[in-house]
Amino acid sequence: MSELFAILLGKAIFSLTRFFKIGGGSAAPGLFALRIDPELVEGLIRHIPQNIIITGTNGKTTTARMIAHFAKTSGLTVIRNQTGSNLERGIASTLINYAPSRGLAKLNYDLGIWELDEAAFNSVAPKIKPAVVVFLNVFRDQLDRYGEVDTVVKKWSETLKKLPKETIVLVNGDDANTAGLAKFPKGKVQKFGVKDYKIIGESIEHKKEKENLDFEAKNVKLRGLNGSAFQLLTTNYPLREASQLPTTLPLPGIYHIYDFLAAFAVGKTLGFDSKRMISSFKDFSPAFGRVEKLDFGYIFLIKNPAGATQVFETIAPQLRSNDRLLLALNDNLADGTDVSWIWDAGFERLQVTSNKLQVICSGTRAYDLANRLKYAGFNPDNIIVEPDLKKAFGQAKKGLKGCLFILPTYTAMLKLQSILAKTGIKKNYWEEE
Amino acid sequence: MNLTIGYLYADLMNIYGDTGNIIALKKRAEWRGIKVKVVNISSGDRIPTSDVGTRIDLYFFGGGQDQQQELVSKDLVKSGKGKIIKKEVERGVPLLSICGGYQLLGEYYKPHKGPKLAGVGLFPAYTLASHERMIGNIVIDSMFGNLVGFENHSGKTYLKKGALPFGMVCRGFGNNGADKGEGCIYKNAVGCYMHGSLLPKNPKLADWLIKKALEVKYGKAIELKPLDNSLEFQAHHKAIQKIK
Repeated sequence: MSELFAILLGKAIFSLTRFFKIGGGSAAPGLFALRIDPELVEGLIRHIPQNIIITGTNGKTTTARMIAHFAKTSGLTVIRNQTGSNLERGIASTLINYAPSRGLAKLNYDLGIWELDEAAFNSVAPKIKPAVVVFLNVFRDQLDRYGEVDTVVKKWSETLKKLPKETIVLVNGDDANTAGLAKFPKGKVQKFGVKDYKIIGESIEHKKEKENLDFEAKNVKLRGLNGSAFQLLTTNYPLREASQLPTTLPLPGIYHIYDFLAAFAVGKTLGFDSKRMISSFKDFSPAFGRVEKLDFGYIFLIKNPAGATQVFETIAPQLRSNDRLLLALNDNLADGTDVSWIWDAGFERLQVTSNKLQVICSGTRAYDLANRLKYAGFNPDNIIVEPDLKKAFGQAKKGLKGCLFILPTYTAMLKLQSILAKTGIKKNYWEEE
Repeated sequence: MNLTIGYLYADLMNIYGDTGNIIALKKRAEWRGIKVKVVNISSGDRIPTSDVGTRIDLYFFGGGQDQQQELVSKDLVKSGKGKIIKKEVERGVPLLSICGGYQLLGEYYKPHKGPKLAGVGLFPAYTLASHERMIGNIVIDSMFGNLVGFENHSGKTYLKKGALPFGMVCRGFGNNGADKGEGCIYKNAVGCYMHGSLLPKNPKLADWLIKKALEVKYGKAIELKPLDNSLEFQAHHKAIQKIK
């Protein structure tokens, strides 16, 4: 009975948070419900026939969203922790929200897609008994929370040994750390990657010998902010289909190609049609704040050195002198309380030809950020510091002639979403699909 | 004038944003018209000492992951680099070491299991592994006034009799969370637990290291040209305000 009580309590908290608009209720209901019934997740999730888990440092939410898109295109009903609350409580909250409140009726969904952060993966994955597990990458990220990369990878390898033989494991073959996980699972492992590309970051010595990638992007052409085009090779699915598929991705940057490959690989293990998946991208829009196109500019989430540097590389060639940058650095728990990471991120790459580029620094550690930019070569006269994000946003928009590039850390991004919603620019993030 | 900075084990000991210290030293010297060269010295490399022209004028040593730290500890002793660094510091060459780098320059590190890892013995200090993670913003009072950074360590460092702490803890844990001391200073060599990065927000310390390096190199008193530090000091003060 504790399961039912936990669900009802969770639902009550949901209504309260929504009613008072304190947030999307993505964590609190699950947190309290789990105190009443610690086995809530196992109990509810076994009603869902297939579950996918996605973990890694960067790209979890975007990948999950792509898989959901493919699944819906193929006519499946999907449940997932879509607001990016990727601890057990986030999954519990989602399950509670979608569970029918009358008695013990079952959750009626075809597919569960769950993103789990690097640490939560180890405690939650064995409970879910997933059909597929995806390892996207591992970079140094919030050392105050997750610890060192070596430790993260070691714990993953131990957890993988515990997963059932039926679980299919998909790993990024270009990241030495995730590729190395291939030897641990009991069941089948497949790799995805980009031809002749190395992951910059932790895997220094990774040489691409004739590695067998099961899903590979070849002849990649990056098209600035408009996305990329490449040939998709599916070595192990040559039958019935052409083995090279021309693919256009409407998301900028090479890192999104990895997210796509992961999502596509999941789609194949679920038996989705390749061409249908690729063509369904026409009407795909990325998750809130990760890469978001607004009328007057873009939002790109930055949260760790590798991810931030990839974002800088993507936008730098697009920056014009009448564009503006709004950078927001918070040091809340979900951002990481240690802001040292900004010194490992390549802000120098943003320092392109236009020395006149106006930069507004915001967030709880706005001054640290401004100082970082000074040492990256920006002229301090062009840097405005305004810790209050709402005011900073107002200043950035005022008299804007070019494009506004907004680069927030995680909690600054959530705050920004609510600012955008309040000013009527867009809906609350939890109301988004 | 020119300045050669030796970045010890840049490829292995670089995970906590400590590279910001190299960026700060380099920029602050360059803004004064001093030419800077950064030399990475890693396992297998030798420290140039014989020729005055290629000598290292200032050393930096950052923090790393446990596995890498073990490798580095062995290399420092085996290759003789540890001995050279110690000799250079005796000559007055300045050095900044953070976290793992600081621990390895002490007398030894005692892990939970297994034998002690021998250190360089530059700082009269030793470190014991603990199960407590000392993590968070840290403010200390030092000969450079207040310094602010971020610490993240479980090793507890104890100074031996006669050793000087680098500063006293106002906020945070410091060397071991018990005796209020943070870091160690010996001649012009500093070891401490402060990430952040430390130097960009604490420009007085950065300038002291540059000044000492040039004085030893050129054998005369050096006055550094003043710089506009308003952004640095704002970052410094705002960080302290937030913590206190």
